[in-house]
Amino acid sequence: MSRKILILLILPMLVLGLSLTAGAEPLPEFELMTTTEGYDPIRYEAAFLIEENFAELGIQVDVQPTEFSTLIDNFYNEQDFDVAIVGWSGRVERLDPQHFLGTLHSGQTDPGGNNPGGYANERVDELFAQQEVEFDMERRQEMVYEIQEISVSEQPVNVLFYRDEVLAFNRNKFEGFQPMAGEGIYTEWLPFDVTPLTDDRMVTIGTSQEPDNINPLDSTTVWGWKFMRLYYDKLVRLTPDVEPEPWAAESFEAIDEDTIEVVLREGMYFHDGEPVTVEDVKFSYDYYMDQDFAYFRPFYQPLDYVEIVDDSTLHFHLEVPVSNFITVTMSQIPILPEHLWADIEVAQDLAPDEIPTVGSGPMKFETFDSGEYKSLSTFEDHFAADDIDIDGIDYIIYADAEGVFTGLITEEVDMNAWRLEPGHIEPAEAEDHLEVVSVPDHGYYHMTYNLRIEPFDDVNFRRAIAHAIPKDTFVDVLLDGLGEPGTSVISPANPFWHNPDVERFEYDLDRARELLEEAGYYIEDGVLHFPEN
Amino acid sequence: MGKGKFITRRILQMLLSYFIILTMLFFVFRLALPDPTAALVMEGLSAEEQAMVRARFGLDQPLLGQYFTYLTNFVQGELGLSFHYRAPVFPIILDRLYNTLALMIPAIIVSYLLGPLLGVFLSWKRGSRSEFAGIIGGLVLRSAPLFWTGMIFIMVFGIWFNIFPTSGMRTLPYEAAYFFDKIFTLDYLWHLFLPMMTIAIYYLGLPMLIMRNTMLEVMGEDFIELCQAKGLSERRIMYHHVARNALLPVVTQAAITIGLAVGGQVVVEVVFSWPGLGREIVQAVRTSDFPMAQGSFMMMSGLVLIMNFLADVIYSYLDPRVVYKGGKE
Repeated sequence: MSRKILILLILPMLVLGLSLTAGAEPLPEFELMTTTEGYDPIRYEAAFLIEENFAELGIQVDVQPTEFSTLIDNFYNEQDFDVAIVGWSGRVERLDPQHFLGTLHSGQTDPGGNNPGGYANERVDELFAQQEVEFDMERRQEMVYEIQEISVSEQPVNVLFYRDEVLAFNRNKFEGFQPMAGEGIYTEWLPFDVTPLTDDRMVTIGTSQEPDNINPLDSTTVWGWKFMRLYYDKLVRLTPDVEPEPWAAESFEAIDEDTIEVVLREGMYFHDGEPVTVEDVKFSYDYYMDQDFAYFRPFYQPLDYVEIVDDSTLHFHLEVPVSNFITVTMSQIPILPEHLWADIEVAQDLAPDEIPTVGSGPMKFETFDSGEYKSLSTFEDHFAADDIDIDGIDYIIYADAEGVFTGLITEEVDMNAWRLEPGHIEPAEAEDHLEVVSVPDHGYYHMTYNLRIEPFDDVNFRRAIAHAIPKDTFVDVLLDGLGEPGTSVISPANPFWHNPDVERFEYDLDRARELLEEAGYYIEDGVLHFPEN
Repeated sequence: MGKGKFITRRILQMLLSYFIILTMLFFVFRLALPDPTAALVMEGLSAEEQAMVRARFGLDQPLLGQYFTYLTNFVQGELGLSFHYRAPVFPIILDRLYNTLALMIPAIIVSYLLGPLLGVFLSWKRGSRSEFAGIIGGLVLRSAPLFWTGMIFIMVFGIWFNIFPTSGMRTLPYEAAYFFDKIFTLDYLWHLFLPMMTIAIYYLGLPMLIMRNTMLEVMGEDFIELCQAKGLSERRIMYHHVARNALLPVVTQAAITIGLAVGGQVVVEVVFSWPGLGREIVQAVRTSDFPMAQGSFMMMSGLVLIMNFLADVIYSYLDPRVVYKGGKE
């Protein structure tokens, strides 16, 4: 009796043991998390193309279209994913490489951080820390290049594609639109760029995205800031080539590694007639720090304090020297009028109609009716007002992209603020009065592997499967040619920082199989198996 | 049971229903919509900064705690802070509500004036071709999806003929200090026409068909025969005796429609970019803005309850049998 039980126990163990020695495990099926078709059909389709190609290599992938906020939560906060297709939008301050390179830094691997895949490379960390404090642009560029080189060749993240912004404007009414990477044609230079061709000197922008609010200490959307930055001045503005140009500052200079001297431009006025002084500038930076506005924290965090040297000079003392203080912080923090804000204790508690809307920028705030309409007029006393040929900007806020498109067709609006839907591009091109422009973006869409999971921890495996991703198909078929195949996290739309010489993984399934074999993986019964030890 | 007792009982019922609705609203949105702060990661906010935002909206509290805060706030007339606008919800909803009513009330008036009249006409012409056409027409209009009708209207009248505007309530830019400046203008009526007609046409079918059916029912009753025997004219019988009795179901339907109308016709508001409550609800759901979605639904459900209650009370005047039927205890 007991013998029978013994045999019954031993037999399965023997079988198990034999099978273990006979071969290694097959790869389990992986979940590939992507957006729903409704949210972004392109990322959705891309996932299925990847599934197909991986299947050719014997890698089983199960595509999981996930509602967007849940996807973001699983990816960043929970880090609960095998492979995920996500994207970064190209906001203007992200033209500085700091933010995107940060997604490769080992300090960002905790839940909630920007490096959920868990990539860690000492050399990358070291270079990242160096470039952060390197004021010499050429030297910083070299470091930024090297980070891209390493990260592309190690493939913790596969950058799938960069997507162009496609916009349209009425060519019979205005000319001179200058596209800018990641910004389209609705840039902060718009008032300076465009010239009216008719008597209508108001540019009308159609948009389906509206500001969440217009409180400079509470708005956390691109659409709030794209609007407000037209009526507030900043010390520095970024040119379309992403060079910092002195704006409210007449000049800026790093006098030592943690002090920046700024000379304020003379003769500037707020829209209510009060002069802009060094006190206002100091107040604005202090106020942002006091109010501790989370959204702007990365901007003011490096700052220790601002010192007024004389009537026109300020010293910005930095806690740690950071190379992008001028391009990022000074180009983002608006100059607020001290006389209107000083008495406001908690800026976030302001009711919508109590928010001061007085700035010193080239445009003057007129109206904001949520859901309907907003408006700006040209500020004639601005130092650069002579370069502005328009009287102001009207915005019509539509419920959806369909409304914006109808507005473009009926000439109710002169341009759109946000990309055209793929289905609207061709009909827009067919209209005589519309000119369609396509602008490369510095944001990117990527597939990130969870490096805590086998076999994604194996660099050879990642390098091999990089050859199985049909990037040209993404661009030619899914994007209709309006984009570029992805390489590194810094897009070619950002030419100064983009490393054009990073390794390219051509789409070639045979090469992928070859590399997998070299790394010891093998296919049995159509399923890829881990290497035998 | 007297009228007073009937009304008190209805009010108590209404309060209980509302409490249940409030509870459901709270939990349904939290179960159905994703965490609103998840999107903050995309803005590049660190974990610590996200915690600051959570604390500000009370999202760091346990769910049950949030629920009690929600109830206490509600009793105090506080509907919360919108996550998206970062401003109190109530004024925003009120502003959108006016816009919605400015669209829905004219639409309902048009459909509930024309509908019953057409219904009387159809029952009168029973068996004729015009009745047949009327019923088919009514069913078709009732079944045509609103966004489709709306888009056809936009294409035909907005783009091809270019005689009506396709979006918004007013020609922009404009200045209107008060709400009534906004709607007492020809320009407003001009903007109103297409969306209003889209809704009115859709609403029209129901009162028309209900009216026709109940008319036919009432016409078969004995007292009508009596009227005919008395020698009253056909017209007098139709409008004074039949129509009055057939109006009851239409009143109920109208009350419910008005209650629901507060939420706006989401689809029409989106298609015509009308800045109303329905469009706001869509956005609130998209951005996981719990307070905004809750507030809008509270407003809507409250009004549906009140309108139902009013309909019952009006009913008790129009048809006294309602009250006494309930009184057999």
